[in-house]
Amino acid sequence: MMSSAENRRKRWILCFILLSALLVVFFAASICIGSVNLPLSRLLSILFKDGGDSSERDIIFALRLPRTLAALILGGALSLSGYLLQTFFHNPLAGPFVLGISSGAKLTVAVCMVILLSRSATMNSAGMITAAFAGSLACMFFVMLASRRIKRMSMLVICGVMIGYICNAVTEFIVTFADDSDIVNLHNWSQGSFSGTTMENAAVMAVVTAVSSLCAFLLSKPISAYLLGESYAESMGVNIKLFRIALVIISSMLSACVTAFAGPVSFVGIAVPQIIRFLYRTSKPVVMIPACFLGGSIFCLFCDLLARTMFAPAELSISTVTAVFGAPVVIAVMLRRPEER
Amino acid sequence: MQEKPYFEISGLSAGYGGKPLIEDINIKLKKGRILTLIGPNGAGKSTVLKTITGHLPSIAGSVYIAGRSTAAMSRKELASTIAVLLTERVKTDMMTCRDVVETGRYPYTDLLGILSNEDRHAAERAMAAAGISDLADRDFMTLSDGQKQRVMLARAEAQESDILVLDEPTSYLDIKYQLELLSTLRRLSSERGTTVIMSLHELFLAERISDIIMCIKDRRIDNIGTPSEIFSGTYIDSLYDLAPGTYRSLRADQVYF
Repeated sequence: MMSSAENRRKRWILCFILLSALLVVFFAASICIGSVNLPLSRLLSILFKDGGDSSERDIIFALRLPRTLAALILGGALSLSGYLLQTFFHNPLAGPFVLGISSGAKLTVAVCMVILLSRSATMNSAGMITAAFAGSLACMFFVMLASRRIKRMSMLVICGVMIGYICNAVTEFIVTFADDSDIVNLHNWSQGSFSGTTMENAAVMAVVTAVSSLCAFLLSKPISAYLLGESYAESMGVNIKLFRIALVIISSMLSACVTAFAGPVSFVGIAVPQIIRFLYRTSKPVVMIPACFLGGSIFCLFCDLLARTMFAPAELSISTVTAVFGAPVVIAVMLRRPEER
Repeated sequence: MQEKPYFEISGLSAGYGGKPLIEDINIKLKKGRILTLIGPNGAGKSTVLKTITGHLPSIAGSVYIAGRSTAAMSRKELASTIAVLLTERVKTDMMTCRDVVETGRYPYTDLLGILSNEDRHAAERAMAAAGISDLADRDFMTLSDGQKQRVMLARAEAQESDILVLDEPTSYLDIKYQLELLSTLRRLSSERGTTVIMSLHELFLAERISDIIMCIKDRRIDNIGTPSEIFSGTYIDSLYDLAPGTYRSLRADQVYF
């Protein structure tokens, strides 16, 4: 194990280089691989030389690029949201999916969709995000109420899972009783998938995620104080009330953005920050925030690639794949901490 | 000419949720003095300390530092004036001792909390002074309670603040480190002019280190005085509800065994 502070900085730089390289590789793979395989050389010539034929352009710019961007942006957002929630609750097992926050967002989006569909209207991106944000905040509020009384980290997670189940049950109920052919789409979305993303969607999610992530990064300093607990943070001059509100809003916004466009995606929020913490061996937010985003992007690009290629032309839901890789990480985290307060 | 008090508590009422636990606390301290709060468990020592640090809002009265009310100070200003050591246990994840000590430099760092070289040196100095340099790269959670306490002390020292508020700093420390803490605090008060305000359970330490002792009992200030005033006669026995002469006889045993 590396020890001195200098070595640790080298480790961080090395990890950032490694992750950036992985991001580029998976981004390219995600554009090239699919039902029609485009070798990298062909892709480069389409982009920079002849422009390719119209079907190739369609595949790249209408299907694969927006989907790849969605996986990249939303994966990062999800992972960062998980990191912020873990910090907020001082709980390594926290994440938007396990705490039921994704399910809450799913519920409100489903309700809005059904209401609008019955009036034969559709929702735009901003409407979807607003609905998801409201649902996220409502669930976050319940989890925070629970966390006041529950100090054990595992119990808080169970509480969140229960809230998630309640929300899912209500969503199922609504979907079952709302008879409309478009409900099939709703059902697909509620399983979680990056498919069907348009460039317009990608632009909206990029803006929302970029602003939220930047805000999170600017909170690096109070987050580092908060790592020692609330009382110490307060003694360092952090306005705890304001800080907590900011953290709740940012993490809810990030996870709402994901749910609005891709539906609930499991385990990325818990697993990726854990892997990143292990890789970087630090909890410094200035390092963790960009690293978590990068890690989440790679993880989701990789999982989405598997989801759509493994059993092509059939497609797996993204959560199925993220669970396969994410759940073992969660188990490992629990085994690593035998003693619990 | 009378020297102005550096630290002053005037008519302070401390308590939770607007209900005063301890009322009408008054004291004036010169810079570099060491004030110790003693008294039975649950008497309200921590409540008083938390009100001084601003963790609890004061119910009535004020705390003045260099003539200015702490209520009028910004959070940042207060944070760079007072360093604290709390009784609550700190749980960290992937933080080395150096990381923990460096958080003491928080009030001095820039917008993103990135440390300057001066901050790093201050942290190293504090670790060296606390004798924990060899623990610097260890994960904080792998340490013993006593080691953790020394790291948290180094953290408070790294802050290089004018006032140090310590809530039971000797918890988890064995006698060797208790005495070391004593000499550290003496050094800080004499060399750097740090004013120390702390609560202690170890009476023999309180007697040796303090300039002034404040005794809290039954939710009020029972007595304030120099160690020789407090520890003469049978006052300590009445403070802790002991039979008269009990404490002195304990000390006599220590001398003759």
